[in-house]
Order: sequence, then C-alpha cells, then structure tokens
Amino acid sequence: MSPLRIVLIGYGPVGARFVEELLPAVRGGAVALTVVAGEPVEAYNRVLVAEYAVGNADLDAMLVGDRETAEAAGAAILLGVRATRIDRGAHLVHLSTGEALPYDRLVLATGSRANVPTLDGVERPRRDLADLERHPDRLVARDDDLPAGVTALRDLDDAERVLAAVRGRRRIVVLGAGVLGLELALAAAHAGAQVCVVHHGPHPMPRNLDRGGGHVLRSALRRTGITVIAHSRAEAIGFRTDADGTRRFDMLVTADGKQVRGDLLVLSCGVSPRNELATLAGLRTAVGVVVGPDLRSWSDPDVFAIGDCAQVVERTDETAGRRILPGAPSGLIGPGWRQAEHLAARFAAEAAEPAIGSTVAPLPPERDAIVMLKAEHVDVVAVGDVSADPWDDDALSPRRRVAQWADPEHLRYVKMVTEDGILTGFASVGMPRTAAELTLLFERRAELPADRSLLLRFDGPDDDPSANADAFAPEATVCWCNGVTVGRIHESAACGNTTVECVGRDTRAGTGCGGCRGRIAEVLARAAEADGAPSLTA
Amino acid sequence: MAAETHCPYCALQCAMTLTPTDAAAAPAVQGAAPAAPVTVAGRDFPTNRGGLCKKGWTSAELLAAPSRLTSPLVRDADGVLRETTWDAALDLVAGRLRGIRSEHGADAVGVFGGGGLTNEKAYLLGKFARLALGTSRIDYNGRYCMSSAAAAGNRAFGIDRGLPFPLTDLDDSETILLLGTNVAETMPPFIGHLTGAQAAGGLVVVDPRRTATARLTDDGQGLHVQPAPGTDLMLLLGLAHVVIAERLVDDAYVSARTTGFAALRRSVAQWWPERVQSVTGVPAATIRAIARRLASGGRTYILTGRGVEQHVDGTDTATAAINLALLLGLPGRPGSGYGTLTGQGNGQGGREHGQKCDQLPGYRKITDPAARAHVARVWGVEPSEIPGPGLPAIELLGSLGRPDGVRALLVHGSNLVVSSPNVAEVRRGIERLDLLVVCDFVLSETAALADVVLPVLQWAEEEGTMTNLEGRVIRRRPALAPPPGARDELWLLHELASRLGSTARFDTDPEAVFEELRLASEGGIADYSGIDYALLDSGAEAFWPFPRGGEGSPRLFAERFHHEDGLARLVAVAPRTGARPAPSPDELTLVTGRLLEHYQSGAQTRRVPELLGAQPDARAAIHPATAARLGIADDEPVEVANERGTVRCRARLTTDIRPDAVFLPFHYGDEQAANLLTSDAVDPISSMPEFKTNLVRVTRLVEAGADS
Repeated sequence: MSPLRIVLIGYGPVGARFVEELLPAVRGGAVALTVVAGEPVEAYNRVLVAEYAVGNADLDAMLVGDRETAEAAGAAILLGVRATRIDRGAHLVHLSTGEALPYDRLVLATGSRANVPTLDGVERPRRDLADLERHPDRLVARDDDLPAGVTALRDLDDAERVLAAVRGRRRIVVLGAGVLGLELALAAAHAGAQVCVVHHGPHPMPRNLDRGGGHVLRSALRRTGITVIAHSRAEAIGFRTDADGTRRFDMLVTADGKQVRGDLLVLSCGVSPRNELATLAGLRTAVGVVVGPDLRSWSDPDVFAIGDCAQVVERTDETAGRRILPGAPSGLIGPGWRQAEHLAARFAAEAAEPAIGSTVAPLPPERDAIVMLKAEHVDVVAVGDVSADPWDDDALSPRRRVAQWADPEHLRYVKMVTEDGILTGFASVGMPRTAAELTLLFERRAELPADRSLLLRFDGPDDDPSANADAFAPEATVCWCNGVTVGRIHESAACGNTTVECVGRDTRAGTGCGGCRGRIAEVLARAAEADGAPSLTA
Repeated sequence: MAAETHCPYCALQCAMTLTPTDAAAAPAVQGAAPAAPVTVAGRDFPTNRGGLCKKGWTSAELLAAPSRLTSPLVRDADGVLRETTWDAALDLVAGRLRGIRSEHGADAVGVFGGGGLTNEKAYLLGKFARLALGTSRIDYNGRYCMSSAAAAGNRAFGIDRGLPFPLTDLDDSETILLLGTNVAETMPPFIGHLTGAQAAGGLVVVDPRRTATARLTDDGQGLHVQPAPGTDLMLLLGLAHVVIAERLVDDAYVSARTTGFAALRRSVAQWWPERVQSVTGVPAATIRAIARRLASGGRTYILTGRGVEQHVDGTDTATAAINLALLLGLPGRPGSGYGTLTGQGNGQGGREHGQKCDQLPGYRKITDPAARAHVARVWGVEPSEIPGPGLPAIELLGSLGRPDGVRALLVHGSNLVVSSPNVAEVRRGIERLDLLVVCDFVLSETAALADVVLPVLQWAEEEGTMTNLEGRVIRRRPALAPPPGARDELWLLHELASRLGSTARFDTDPEAVFEELRLASEGGIADYSGIDYALLDSGAEAFWPFPRGGEGSPRLFAERFHHEDGLARLVAVAPRTGARPAPSPDELTLVTGRLLEHYQSGAQTRRVPELLGAQPDARAAIHPATAARLGIADDEPVEVANERGTVRCRARLTTDIRPDAVFLPFHYGDEQAANLLTSDAVDPISSMPEFKTNLVRVTRLVEAGADS
C-alpha cells in the first residue's frame, strides 16, 4: 500500500503539533508528510512574542517544533518555502520555488495576520478574489508593508522592531486595548519604555470585561505608569522625515483631534485568518476557511484546516444556505492544538485502515475560551458573558445569578455569573488566587460554593486558616512529632510539670525534632502567669 | 542488656536504645495491658538527633501485645484458623507448594515482599523465590511507594538512591522545594532539618492540602501552593518554562553535565505560566516567584514524595522535578541537590536486593546476562537456573487464581488487602487462590484471610541491617529474646527451602546472609561489598555504593552521574491526554495519605492503644463549603463511593483541604479501607498505581431507620 501523502501548509505552533502527533504514522511509513513552512525559522510559540519583544525571552526558549526529529522520522520540512497556489483538480500545491507538490490530503494551518485598521497614511490592501488574482505575488502568503515606525506584533520581525524601541527607551504608542496590546504595553512599560495606549472603547479589554472590571484594570494600568486614552478612534498617522530621508511615524491623530506623539506605533487591532490560498482555490471562506466539526472543508473532502485559519461551522441545511456564517476562529492556541491532535489521529487511523478514518468522532465544540492577561503585576482573567449585573431581572435567564466584589482603591474586582449554580462566566482583576480557582471551576463546569465569598478569601490574609487560629487555644498542636496540644501541656503543668524537660518526660512534647521547645516554654509561661504563680521557665 | 538499634517504622530510621525492663520476665496482670518489655529512649543520630515521634516512643508496646501471634495457624476444615506446630505448618506449606508447582508450573507460586524487611530478609526472599521456588513471580509493596521515583532516578542519573546526600546537608540550606510530602506527620523528626530554609524564608511546600508541613511555611518562612490534585506535572513544566524563558538556567552545568537540553526546552516552551495556572490553579505570578527563588543561587534542594509520585504519570512527574533540578545545576553541587524521600523503614535497601520482579541483588537487572552470571556464581548455580523477569505487583495480584496465574502466594511484611489499590479486587483474587501463606507477627487483615499464618519476629528481637532514606546502611540489634513460638524469617526460609528439596544455601545467621549479600551486590549499582557488621558496629558511617576495599559514598554526583558517559539525562516529558478523567461537577478528587499516629496499613500502630486512641478510625476530610453543599456536618457518618467500592466513615470538616478534594488516610481496614476506592491503573514505566487522584462521590450516610 502506498503511503497517504499529506501536505501541511504552515508551521506555526499548531502545525508543529500536527506534525508531532503524526510522526508515528510517518515513521511507520503509512504517511508521507511534507510541510510547507513559509517562515524561514522553526515553529515558535507566538504566545511569547510580546515577551520576546521586550527582551524577556530568547527565540530558543520559544521554539516548539522539533524539526530534526520530524526529519529523522521521514517528514520533509521546507523552511522558507511558500505555497503560492492550490490546484485542487490536480491535487497539487504550487510552491515559491516553482515546484509543485502532489497530495492526497491537504491541511491548511496558515494562521492569521494582524489587522491593519483604516488610517489615513497607511496603505491597506484588500484580499478579495479579484485583487488576489490580480496581485498574487504581493498578496498571497505575504504580510503588508507598513510605513517606518509602524508595526504590528505578530512575528519575530515585528518583535525586533518593538525590542529596538524598548531598548532605546522610546515612546511607544499602542493602538488597541485588547489582551495582546495590553500585554505588550505592560511588558514594555516594565522594561522602561514610555507607553501610551489608545483605544476607542469605554475601557480596556471591552470584549472580555464588564464596566467594573474594565475600570479597575484601567486604574491598574495607570498605576504602572501607562497612559490610557479611551473613547478615541484613530483616524490618521502623521509622519516626520528623518535625516536620512526616511518618512517615519510621528503621531497618531484621533477622530476628536488628539495628537498622540511617539517613536513607534504598534497596531494591536486583532487578527484575521490568512485565507488567501483558500480563496484563490475556490474553497468556501467566511471569516476563516470554513470547515465542519471534522475539520474538513465544506468545499473539498481532501482539504482540511486547523488553528487560527479554520472556522468551524457545522453544515446543516440551514447554515448551508446562509451567506454570513456564525462564529470565527478563536485565535487561541488551546483549541488549535486540540484540532491538530484530532486531525493527526484521524489521518493515522485512515492511513492504517482507510475505512476507519471516516468513522472518527468529530471534535466536541469548544467552550468559551478563558482569556488571561500575561503580565507581571497586573492580573486579569475573564471568560464568558459578564455583562449582567447583580440586580438585573432578565426574564430570558431566570436562573442566572451574579455575584460581584469591587474594591477599586486596591485594584481588586471579581464578578461571577452562574446559571443554576454553574459558572458561565467571570471576570477577575487583581485577585490571582481567586482567578486561578475560578478558572478550574469553569473548566470543570463545577458548581460554585453557595457562599461565594469563600472564593474571595483565597486572596485575603485569612486564606491561611492557621493565621486566625489562636496558637494558644487548648486544641492547637504544639509538638507535631508527638501530636501534643496546648491543652495537654496545661494538664501536665497542672500536675506539677512546669519545665520543658518535665513536660517532655510526661507528654513527649519536644522530644522529636525539638523544634517546638520554645513554644512549650511559652505555653508554660502563659499558664503560670494566668495562675499567678511564679514562672520557672521565664 | 541495652540494645542500640533503630525505630521499626519509617525510613528516617531514628536511632533508639532499647533497655529490657522487669516486665519482660514478669507475667502480665490479668485484665491489664501488659507492660512493654523494653523501655525506649532516643539516641543521637544524624536523622533524629536523639528525638523520636509518637510512633517511635510507643513502638515497644506491640512487643507484648496480646494480639501478638506466637504459634503457626492453619485453617481447618471448618474454615477456622487453629494453632499448630511449626513442623506441621511447614510440612503443609511445602507439600502444597510442591503439588501446585508440579501441576501448574513454578510460576504458579508467587511471593509478595515488603519494604520493611531487613536487607538480609529481602535478599534471601529474592533468592528463595528464584532458587527454592524457581518462580519469576516475586514483587513487593515498594511498588506502591518508590517505583516511580526509582524509575525516574535511574533514567536521569543511572542510579536510584533516594537522597544522594546525608540528610544533615539540608540543615543550612536557603531554599527547599518540597513536592507532595507531609514530613511533619509522616516522619516528624525530619522537620528539624528544614529550619535553615524556614529561617531564610525559603521553604516551599507544594501540596493540595494545607498539611502540618505546609504550615511550616507560615509567618514568612516560605510559601505553600495548593495545586489541584493531579496537576503537579504541569506545575513542574511551568517552573522549568520560567527557568528557561527567564534565562535562569545554569548553562555551564547543563552543557558540561547533561544531555537532552534541546528537546527539553522545546517540550516546556508550550507551558507558559498562565497556561499552567489554568490547569493547576496556581497563579502565574506564584509560579514565576518560585522559579526565581529556586534559581537565586543559594543552597537549594528539590525533594519529592509520594504525593507527586503515586500517579499514573508518577515517573514523568518525578522526572520533571529532576529536570528542574538539573536546569538549575543542583544535583552534585555542594549544598544543593535533588532527592526523593523514601517512606518505608527499609524502602531503600528493600528495593536493591532482589524483591523486585525485574531485579537481582545489587540493583542488577535480571535481564542483563552479566548480572545473571555474577549472581549465579555467588549462588552456585547456572545462570539458566535463575528465572527471568516476573510481573510487577499489580499484574501479579491481577493474576491471582487466574488460568496461568499465581495459585499460591507467600506474603512477607505486607498487608496487601489494605495497602493495594482497588483492594476489593485483590480480595477477590485471594479468594481464588489455592493457598495463601502470610508471615506476620499480628493477625493483619491479610493474615486473617490466609490458609497458613506463620508468626515471625519483631524488630526488637532480631538482628540485621537496614538502609535508610539516605542510603546509609545501619544495624538493627536485638534487645530481647523472641516469645516462644515466633521464628525468624531467615530460619523459616531455610526450613521451607530444605523441605522443597533446594540444594541452594539459605543461612539462618543474619551476618552470614549479609556476607553473601556483599558478594552478590559486588560490582552492582548498589554495591555493599565493602561493608560488614564489624564496620557498622564500629560506628563508622556507611553509605552505598561502598566497594570492597574502598570507601562509602555519602554524596553522589560530585564528579559524574552513573550513566556510562557520566552525564545526566534531561528527559522531555509531557502530560498524556486522557491520563486521568476530569471530575464531573458532583465528583470530588480523593487524595489518600497518612496520619501522624499510624504507619502504612496500620496493622502495627492500630494495635498500640495510645496511637489508636488518638486516631481510632478513618475520617474523610472535607472542606466546609463542600460539606455545606452536600449537607454534611462535622463528625457525621458519610459514604465515600465510586464504581469500585464504598468507604463508610465519619467526616472531618477542615479548610485545610481544597473544596474540590476529599482526603482519606489509608491506615484502616475493612469498610474504612481507602483503597477500596483507588484504581489499579498504573504508570506505564514504573507500574506505580494511581493513589492520589481517584474520583469519588461523598454523601451523608443516613442510617437505616433514622429520621430525616
């Protein structure tokens, strides 16, 4: 039996996971795998790009793909080679080298690219079918050129530009107050850069936080020295001309006339799937490449998509007729990795036993993804719809309950939304233990304790049950080695054992590791004081 | 005469002096508990410095306990265990074993040993199984304790000595990371060695429970982190991620002394702290803080215990801890290191000399032709006469009474119907047996099921050696004569071997057995050949490996690791998907563990009145918030149940446990046996069962006829 020929386009973290999971089948000869990597470097963890951009992480520590092992297993990994066109009729992928690769199964893991907003002064090409057919060289598998001093934050080149600005302690303007923009802003500010965040919503992270959480977060950002300009729609870019004649970014101009000056503008306005190969090949695309829950393209049974470029929509009579499809790629790594594992398992099964492949159960739908702000001193975790307020009386959700804690002065806020006691969403700012526990409860669909304040106490000083316990209460343990309590020492003292040694002989307290002898003396001294008798141990 | 010996219980092997009292001679007063025949006094020794815990102080009470067995017991036609003579019992056992062997083959006889046996007994038991019984089917209860850490240590370092340094090295450390170990209750004198790290504010305890050990971090002495049960591996991957990402790696050490860094780096790249937070419940900032503390360059130790090892991914979790230590350059650096805390009294020596199914004395592999040739020479047989590898404990027990399985089982120093996972299944297996022979000094739950019970000696009556958690070989010495009727296991093995027609040598004198063990271990990983009783009696310290004519090895790894190339292995590990099912909303995660007052299955400590009085029965520890949801009040009877079984006990409400977990001590038998609930799923490398993350439902037990 000849091996199943699989071509993967894209070698980001999701592509790398797909390769890793498929290696046993490649090694066994059932699958012939070729990876068209695009970027000239090995797969790296994009989650850490902001860290890299402020000098906190090395590329080495971000690499996730094991190219050597994959190649040793027999996979071909074409670094720096781009796919330029898919010929579905001939089952061929055309490459930037002029070659063409035949495939039985094609997997798109092309990821996404940073959105460039409409700004006077920045060219923003469209990627509809007509434009793609007219300018394939410029538009397919390539990102857009931005003016000097303007960058997105998506790949290593972007990160290098930011790093130079951070190192030079330059003024950095971040456009957008989503998670990625704020992570960069916080990391850069922490590294010593002057940072200004401009966004058009009422508060940062508007997609994830309610008003209360957003306001506490804004205060937290300001306390780290970041300037936050809300309610501001960016409209244009002003340029200055360097001594060498380069036109570079000078200021961001907002719709209401504010001029925000800086040395580097970082665009953090979300991402869009890299769909252009699919669009050119006539595959159904919406926000991303449209695939079913089995990750197979609606348009071609031999084409699949995973990760940031894949939009999973179940094909029903109803959805098939719709022009606009629901949902969008999550843009998060977790679902992408699960898709990669699932698809690799499916192909491995199919290669071993063609009949099996089609019977693999589809991937269960993803729940709302938990969003966490990765930053040193600001802790934000949120998931689900947290717009409801405790006093809302919503006839549509009679079983919804909202509990909330707000302490803006100390930058703490948490809101928990439950449906029948089960957590459906929460937002937490400045309460890391609470957030971590809520995350687990959400993942497990667990019921919240009836007393929600239990969850707040994790971040309070009385989280430690021993701290508010009386160390000299009769039931408090003094000697752990021998399990001797304060009460037992009192009894012993009442029988005339008034020194540490005597108590030790009587109760064995202090006769293990000996670490509690000081406390025994203290217990005896207090007991003697209470009796009004002179202490022998003081 | 006073005997200088060591405690019968844990691997700390605290030194004690036993002095016979008049009670040893006087008859017990009617109705009163007999007085202990020896007094116990702590003795100065590096691990305990003269102190003892409650278990040690009361250890002599069992010597004269009325429950002590002093005559062989044989089950009669009515199913009742009745006293008989040694000759009758041994003839019966030997006859039945011969019959079963000739009908079903040698592998139809199995042996189950224990980590509490002296080195001499453990060694001779392994030899007895292979030569007198000719069976490959031997394994032991250490499979439930140390096998994951052992597998990880062997994989990384090429050697498995729990602590590769003396315990006192911890004294002046600045940072100690304790993973899944509650030393304050399990081996209390140990905590005297943590005071340095506490004073430096650097004691970090990782435990889902706020244990007595976790409380040692209070008041600025360190940090307690409470990951969700079963997520230790991810936490360790996150720590390694931060160490690499923040360039805290000891690069010179890693490049000079290890291999595998590139793959390790890649494997942890995907475990950034926020991702780890979302699975462990430990805040990302805490993960970073711990990593930075560990890397701050002071004297730093990482120590693991059963809490992180007794899992279906226990080997990988221990490996992740070792990887972290290697990244930081700790193992072999003076004043720093990695270690695992052996639990059973001779848990270290017991895993070195042939009780393991795949092993021959000296920590030799039974599949290695050179090892077989060496041991065969010492034993005076052909290598072909030594059976091949057998089955690890869970598989061995799973084969009881099955076609081609074990039909007769000899049990030494183990109470396996309390300590094994999924004990209901083990009990069913025992019912299927043709013959169960149990050697013990009390009628443990397992002995009570036996066809033949052979009464053996207690620690204060016997001679031998033990190897403690430091790899330090020490002497056990008798303080008094055994009661008439109880016999030494060495004698018993000798008698059985000759009744089975074995021509191999089975000495009854412990020193003679040790001399043979020296020869058998010579040149092996755990080389004891340079140690003899005279050396130990001189008070000299003896850490293995101790080659003949050479010196002992208090500290390993200063120059090299024990792989052929001298390098340690960084082994990339990852959580296996589906390794453990996620709890559904009405399930809690069961964590099993220990109490201060009891040891192992409790067969001994539950017979000491003071210890039983303090902890008379099992209590299920539940968080008050969870209890409120379930309608359970403190001290109320509850049922803890899953598809394997049901434990009935009382509830103890405490904020020391996470709201998503329930804790049960495993020291109790019958319907309070925590292991009714544990799964016999095992780690694929070490065959360690999953003791710590089983899913259960807890309900208030409404007694029949009661209102409400």
